[in-house]
Amino acid sequence: MDDLLADFVAETREMLEASSGEIVAWEANPADSARLDTIFRFVHTVKGNCGFFDFPRLATLSHAAEDALADCRAGRRDPDSQLLTAVLAIIDRIVEMVDAIEAGEDFPEEGDEALIAALDTGAERRTKEPDEASEDEAEDTAALAEGPSEDVPSDPQSEKKSDIPAVQRSIRLPVDLLDRVMSGVSDMVLARNDLAHRLRQAGTQPTIDGPFERLTTILSDVRDAITRMRMQRIETLFSAFPRLVRDLSHELGKQVIVDLQGGDVELDREMIEMIRDPLTHIIRNSIDHGIEEPAIRVEAGKVEFGFLSITARQAGNMISVVVSDDGRGLAQDKIAAKAVATGLIAESEMAEMDRDDILELIFQPGFSTAETVSSVSGRGVGLDVVRQNLERVGGSISVQSTQGVGTQLTLQIPLTLSIISGLTVEASGQYFAIPQSYIEEIIHSSSKALNLTRVGETALVTFRGNRVPCLFLNDALELPESEVDEHDTTMVMLRLANGNLFALGVDDIHSHGDIVVKPLAPAVMKTGIYAGSTLLDNGQPVLLLDVTNIAAQNKISTDLRSRVLYDEDAAAQSKATTVHRAMLFKDFKGRSLAIRLELVQRIETISSDAVDLSGSQPRAVVDGVILPLVGLTDELPRTNKLRLLRLSDGSSQLLHAVQEVKEAIELAGALKPVKDEPLIEALTLVDGHTVSVLDGHKLFANFGEVPDRSDKPVCRLPDGEWARTILAPLVASAGYDIAEDPDMREDVAIWFDDEYEAAAALETEFHSPVVRLRDAPEAEEGSPTIYRYDRDALVEALKNARKAG
Amino acid sequence: MMHSLLVMSLIAGRRCAFPAPEVESVIEVGNITPIPRAPDYITGLTAMRSQALTVIDCRAAIGFQPQEFTLDHRAIVAKCDGDLYALRVDAIDDICSAVSEPTTVPGGFGEQWARVANGLVETRVGPALLLDLAALIEGHAGMGVAA
Repeated sequence: MDDLLADFVAETREMLEASSGEIVAWEANPADSARLDTIFRFVHTVKGNCGFFDFPRLATLSHAAEDALADCRAGRRDPDSQLLTAVLAIIDRIVEMVDAIEAGEDFPEEGDEALIAALDTGAERRTKEPDEASEDEAEDTAALAEGPSEDVPSDPQSEKKSDIPAVQRSIRLPVDLLDRVMSGVSDMVLARNDLAHRLRQAGTQPTIDGPFERLTTILSDVRDAITRMRMQRIETLFSAFPRLVRDLSHELGKQVIVDLQGGDVELDREMIEMIRDPLTHIIRNSIDHGIEEPAIRVEAGKVEFGFLSITARQAGNMISVVVSDDGRGLAQDKIAAKAVATGLIAESEMAEMDRDDILELIFQPGFSTAETVSSVSGRGVGLDVVRQNLERVGGSISVQSTQGVGTQLTLQIPLTLSIISGLTVEASGQYFAIPQSYIEEIIHSSSKALNLTRVGETALVTFRGNRVPCLFLNDALELPESEVDEHDTTMVMLRLANGNLFALGVDDIHSHGDIVVKPLAPAVMKTGIYAGSTLLDNGQPVLLLDVTNIAAQNKISTDLRSRVLYDEDAAAQSKATTVHRAMLFKDFKGRSLAIRLELVQRIETISSDAVDLSGSQPRAVVDGVILPLVGLTDELPRTNKLRLLRLSDGSSQLLHAVQEVKEAIELAGALKPVKDEPLIEALTLVDGHTVSVLDGHKLFANFGEVPDRSDKPVCRLPDGEWARTILAPLVASAGYDIAEDPDMREDVAIWFDDEYEAAAALETEFHSPVVRLRDAPEAEEGSPTIYRYDRDALVEALKNARKAG
Repeated sequence: MMHSLLVMSLIAGRRCAFPAPEVESVIEVGNITPIPRAPDYITGLTAMRSQALTVIDCRAAIGFQPQEFTLDHRAIVAKCDGDLYALRVDAIDDICSAVSEPTTVPGGFGEQWARVANGLVETRVGPALLLDLAALIEGHAGMGVAA
């Protein structure tokens, strides 16, 4: 076969791969002319190319499809599902023919006319037959397409189709060789860095610097290319799924929406090939057995569309691919009965098995739950084969399923070598890397919105209105206590593959970039908290954290059922915040005291020399503000650091020295008033011990002071979640304090335009200059409003408004 | 085994030998990144030419207290199951050739040594314990992985 023909085959394949997702998207929205154009271009190109070669049948087919699509484009005809099915059938046929051309075979001559006739929308009767034909052919095509990708030597029975590897415009390389090249290039980069260092020491030398710059550029290009050699986006695998789902659901009379996420995750080409069949199989199973017919779904109170989600996520040197559906779930009884019937387990064993054990049976060899073996799933390949295949490459597969709610299959796939985007964090002086894919957000824990609290031993933070468990990295790793105060740590919000969220407290965050993950020695892997290691730019090794396992070891729930429970917990906890709560601490006289939690603004740690004992009233400097300090005995404690509670009643503030902060408690017991102690409001019982509750009223009456107002201007924000979570950080970073309570005087206020107009209509008096935000990006010339996401304009407007005011 | 090359070293005050083919090189140990919650005998990770090595203190791995012995500033780099390790020992000596087959001695080498020893070999500098790299890296049973 000459080169031109090989190019034609390759080009057709590439275009088809690129457009298969488009085809399904087009079906979802037939009016989408952009998709239509893509598909039109495909058949058009095929038709045009056929002119160069003598392929009359290809030309006829593509011509017919082109005509029909051209009619749609010109608006002479509405694209409906019959037309679409017919076009897809033709595309399938084109692919088959191309495969035959590549293999140098003849393609059986029949069915072309029927396919072309199916394009005629008027004839429903006629579309039926070719429709079925096309489905069968789709199967055949898949089988054909897999042929050439088989390893030739290992498959002596492969027919003449795969005997012509010369037509492939790619070569096979042993992975070892790539690894060697890769490590060689890494060494070159290190050598270059060394050289760069020496050149800097030697001073500027134009004759050397020029070529050296060039070397640097070339090297980074080469490194890029080598890296990419082995890697492929999982998208290349995903792109075939919408079509697969569409075909299957049509065939089975079901309606399924597929949601693909994480297509940009990259993994080894080899691994992609390895999971192609298992994933296809799982999707088939899901649609065939999991998702119910529309009528049954409606009866069960679900929407008639089934939802199938396929998500890829990187976790260190593992990729997890989660396929979940909202179908009927796995029927425990049926599985058990079937297992007994097929002799996998004895009846007596069955009684002792719990649901998880029974669900595990689906991975046993020779198991298939379908009552009727359909043409879709019943192909003799079961989940046992899937598990075997995955385990052979060091991966795993697990299932979670709730009856009537859905099924979730999780595939863990290892990466022999991977490059991921990662964040370097610091805990107790040591650096660690976290895969970027987990990171939802990074928040400094002093942020008021975060509201870090301790309930018993558990730390909780508030994130987007939810209580989220919080783990400190130095605790999780059993590192020495961090020198950074708990309320000065940085919270990395991590989302696990199952959707659970938790906060990881670290001392600081550092660089962020691509990291090459290398495997760790088995003895280190056994700790279960590291996923690999990587080298920093300075050549220092850094450990990559295994976020999923760290969460699991610390009992941050990891499966579907406990997630539901957890949500209830969270709800209960947020309810609990409405009862009176207090902070329990020990003062320097050794007494157990409690103070109402609402008064505690935060816990501060200051160095002892920031305390001023010269006046009648001790004072201390915190955050550049001088505040009165109570709770000290006559002499300063002999420590360098002093822990303080910073109390606030909204305007006045004061500091209370504490020897030890214990925990937040609920003031559930009865409060017994106390008379003779001046600053004590009452006594109460906490776990059988008496605790004195501080009298907030007297404290503030005697000692409270309004701190010297900071220089920052105050800005008032509109109400609402958006303002609190999105607008507030922006305004704060622009150098404004946020007005916290209604009495606080602001220097400038931000209003949503519609609210502003309503207020203006009511002739509300505005005490301060106002910046108005609108929802729409565009507005007429000279509008006094600002688009809510136009950051620069907003900051500028705040500045101008304040000047004007 | 006769005439094969051995890398001689001193571990916990005893003369030990590693088969030279298992040894990749001897390096100066640079910065070591500790590994929290790893077993005690794993000192950490260090880098050698863009590769991360797992640093093992052989004395601790066998079951001795490393503080009781001197520490060579160099380390022996060895490969086991595809992973690279940097082995810290009291001192690294010369390369010798074995002048005998490995043999056992009556009464054995003692409980701790028996686990990691492949036998005794005679060299021109005297008898040495031939070490089993895989057993050494596995660590002392009592040092179990921190939970």
